[in-house]
Amino acid sequence: MKSFAIAKPRDYQQAATLLKDERFSLPVLKAGGIDLVDHLKEGLLAPDLLIDVKRLPAEANRPPVARDGDRIRIEASATLADLVESKVLASAAPVVPASVESAATPSIRNVATAAGNLLQRPRCWYYRGDQFHCLKKGGATCFAQDGENRYHAIFGDGPCHIVHPSNLAPALWVCDGWVHLTGGKREKLAIADLYHLPDRGLRDEHNLKPGEVVTHLSIVPAQRSGFYAVKEKQSFDWPLVFAAAALTLDGTTIRAAQVCAGAVAPTPWPLGAVEEALVGVSLDDDAALRAACAKATAGAVPMSHNAYKVQLLPVAVRRAVLRAAGRTTEP
Amino acid sequence: MTMPLDQIPTVMPTTNRPQNAGASLDDDASRLDAVAKVTGQAVYGRDRYLTNGIYAAFLRCPYGVATLESYDELAAKAVPGVLEVEITGKDGQYHGHTLGHVAGDSPTAVWRGLRALAPKWKKGTVTTQISDSPLDVPERNDKTKELLAAADHLLEAEYSTEVQIHACLETHGMAIDHKGDSAICYSSTQGTFAATDGLEEAIGLPRSKYEVVCEYVGGGFGSKLNGAGKEGVLAAKLAAKYKRPAYCFVDREGDQLDTGNRPSALAKVAIGFKKDGTILGGQVRLWGGVGVGRGGGGMAFPSGRYAFGELQRDHSDVRMNAGAPRAFRAPGHPQGAFIEELVIDEIATIAGIDPLAYRLTLDRDEDRREMMRLGAQSIGWDKRQPTGSQKGVIRRGFGMGTTTWGGGASQAECEVVIARDGSIEARTGTQDIGTGQRSTMGIIPATVLSVPLAMVTVRIGHSTLPVGPGSGGSTTTPSTAPVMQAAAEDARKQLLAAIANLQGGDSSEFDLKDGQVLRGGKPLLSWKDACAKIGGEQIVGRGKSVRGQGGKGHSHGVQFVELAVDTETGVVRVERIVAYQSCGKAIARKLAESQVIGAVIQGLSFALFEERVLDRNLGSMLNANLEMYRIAGTLDMPRIEPVLWRRGQVGHKSLGEPPTIPTAGAIACALFNALGTPVRSLPLTPHKVLAALAASQKLSNSTPASAPGGAS
Repeated sequence: MKSFAIAKPRDYQQAATLLKDERFSLPVLKAGGIDLVDHLKEGLLAPDLLIDVKRLPAEANRPPVARDGDRIRIEASATLADLVESKVLASAAPVVPASVESAATPSIRNVATAAGNLLQRPRCWYYRGDQFHCLKKGGATCFAQDGENRYHAIFGDGPCHIVHPSNLAPALWVCDGWVHLTGGKREKLAIADLYHLPDRGLRDEHNLKPGEVVTHLSIVPAQRSGFYAVKEKQSFDWPLVFAAAALTLDGTTIRAAQVCAGAVAPTPWPLGAVEEALVGVSLDDDAALRAACAKATAGAVPMSHNAYKVQLLPVAVRRAVLRAAGRTTEP
Repeated sequence: MTMPLDQIPTVMPTTNRPQNAGASLDDDASRLDAVAKVTGQAVYGRDRYLTNGIYAAFLRCPYGVATLESYDELAAKAVPGVLEVEITGKDGQYHGHTLGHVAGDSPTAVWRGLRALAPKWKKGTVTTQISDSPLDVPERNDKTKELLAAADHLLEAEYSTEVQIHACLETHGMAIDHKGDSAICYSSTQGTFAATDGLEEAIGLPRSKYEVVCEYVGGGFGSKLNGAGKEGVLAAKLAAKYKRPAYCFVDREGDQLDTGNRPSALAKVAIGFKKDGTILGGQVRLWGGVGVGRGGGGMAFPSGRYAFGELQRDHSDVRMNAGAPRAFRAPGHPQGAFIEELVIDEIATIAGIDPLAYRLTLDRDEDRREMMRLGAQSIGWDKRQPTGSQKGVIRRGFGMGTTTWGGGASQAECEVVIARDGSIEARTGTQDIGTGQRSTMGIIPATVLSVPLAMVTVRIGHSTLPVGPGSGGSTTTPSTAPVMQAAAEDARKQLLAAIANLQGGDSSEFDLKDGQVLRGGKPLLSWKDACAKIGGEQIVGRGKSVRGQGGKGHSHGVQFVELAVDTETGVVRVERIVAYQSCGKAIARKLAESQVIGAVIQGLSFALFEERVLDRNLGSMLNANLEMYRIAGTLDMPRIEPVLWRRGQVGHKSLGEPPTIPTAGAIACALFNALGTPVRSLPLTPHKVLAALAASQKLSNSTPASAPGGAS
């Protein structure tokens, strides 16, 4: 691989400055390095400067997760294992640890970071294979369109049909999550505004501007929140479809709901129609609950080999809602 | 939890499977190289980064069909550290097809050289699956027509399995330490003595001047039986040319693409049977998907274990633009057993017979019938609901399958050396590909000489040691165990004779027991004191077999599966597998259990997950890695209960392959039991389960009275 320099900035401001350093043609941030190393090995990325931000918050003696006023603060470099083990999240926002507790493998969860999870690149096997000069790489073709698209998107209208790989993003989304920034003009950005569809740019999936660095994340507590993923394999696999839900309950009646799905679109996929339909539904009325969750598929346009995802989506949504309510998902 | 390495015992009693207590020569022995392997002390061929070494990697065709139109040889050669660039062909016939190589002073230089080569390809039209070729079913002959006409029912269905990759943890290759007039070949091989096949010309040395070392091998499963392979030949050429050590192990992608696989299978069956389930026969048309291979796509259906009547059977291998097969743990059997067991369950269901009772009538082997009865009790067959009777979201299923293996044995020689300090060496050149061969070769002399296993040093995996067989056909233990036994007995005899000579009397008065020499049943000398009296430097006990000798009887088994399927998601969770398996007299209980467990896991993985995915348009393999190529992981594991069958078992028989045969079929049967509709295509992924349910729903809506399983 290409030779590169490694910088160890003092703080995020310095990291942001290094990102704009004109002596380097392609400086990139390195946190856990999981997806970065994959990119280096596949030859998809050839940076000449790695800016190591992995250890920054530890130097400032901040815990990976802590209450911060009426929000919960999660350090950008908190590992997925930190999220799984956090007592604060376990009681105040269980959807967050649930979203990553079975992601990848224990050894990856010990290294991969929260911000890295949000900003990782898609796992599309055409994007990852260097023999496919696909849309994301400046080519003219989405090879999934007429190829092997069983794991691709059912929403988003193309022209690129990736699914966003982050398990964490939909979980933060239903907790009114923000990413907090330095290095640019903006101080924060809602998770709901962090991603864009392929029609607004193919080369990346996020809306960060050059030089902007994520320092930490924050969410509002969502005690009634839950997550459900349908996976082919239970160990080390990417979900086929997953959903995160947060509820406000009045007894057994849903007063408000936030629902966001994953692995179905090029971005986390909020389900406003489901959220509306859930209002007023009693958890004891399974027919009504199923009818509300069925609205998840509105607008889905499956590809040639992924129609099964349309079938799976309402199932994952209903189970996420039931988990959010503290109920078992399987009859 | 910090225990010094040398204090971790090699013997650890286990009581978690009481049914297997006393099943082996040494029930408590642990794998001799376990600690070395989990701590990284074990040095594999792939770990041999030799000083001043040359590294090499192949230029591979990235598509199913592509012509190399241009490349920048000068740019590649200009990369610092690149020694040579050689293009050997231009017509790529499959993804991974090697068309040349780059060699250099470091892996990084080689990687950069390959990128600088910037090959340009002209893509061609590809075929990627069996059904891309015309599939002719021969006309039924008169006998078949007659049988089918006489049948009360006809099962007409299509079954398929996907390509499974060996996915050895250690990739394929060789590192050669060339010293000018001699060389050591560090090979990742299943055959110490065959690892140099094909190397003669390339290495430029007489055979007596180079040796093979393969002390540790990270898996093979049949894919490392092909001699030196193109990797070894390239390493040898480079070593000979530059008179330097050379290293050519392929990367993970190359390993997935181009080091063999289990071929895909397609079967169209039309089988007629009577109301009572008696199978009259019919027609089976089989195809094996062999990529660019010239054969090897056959499958063991029918297996011969069941009374299938008279079958008109035709098989063809179908070529396509993909890597060729190699032998893969019971070649042809798991895919054949999948078809066979599911066909049997479908017939049983239509005939209204319990599949266990049905198999008890179809299989005439008394041992297997007894395994069926006992295994049914273990799994709780009485909890099985009739197929198609469940209506809930989560449905439970029970299934079963059977296996047999012919076995056999080949040439092996062993030595047991007793030194005057009392230490013992067991020597044979065979390799341990993860099977436990190193351990069994130590346990046998320890047992014969009645000394602790820790006193035996096992030397294997060197071509300078006595000759032994390659690990193929599950014959390594059947070939070497009796010979190591003979060598140990020879050493014992010599030792007792030496003692009798010194003490006076006949050697029959002396015996070895628990590290002591007995005379007339009473302790006479400690082992150490006795060995100190050996005349000369050491005792060498020898054992030798000849090709064709040994190996009697066969291994067989029965497996039972219990699973749960979520009918809303299609996700299958296998919960329990009970595996009855015979292997003659086991040598080490835990290792034998481990062989069965590993085989079951590989069968489960084949059933639920594994699939080579090729892009249908360009022929590139999309999951040539261990991320998107799915292999069962820890959370996918059921409780696996191996039962070592002992009745009537003598000698040491095959164990590596037979227990992987029935698993996939048993799982497919259990899924059919749970769903009420068969999923006739492996792997049994959620989308196939949902599609099968949807199809059966449609069928039952349109024709409420039809038989299950799409049968007519």
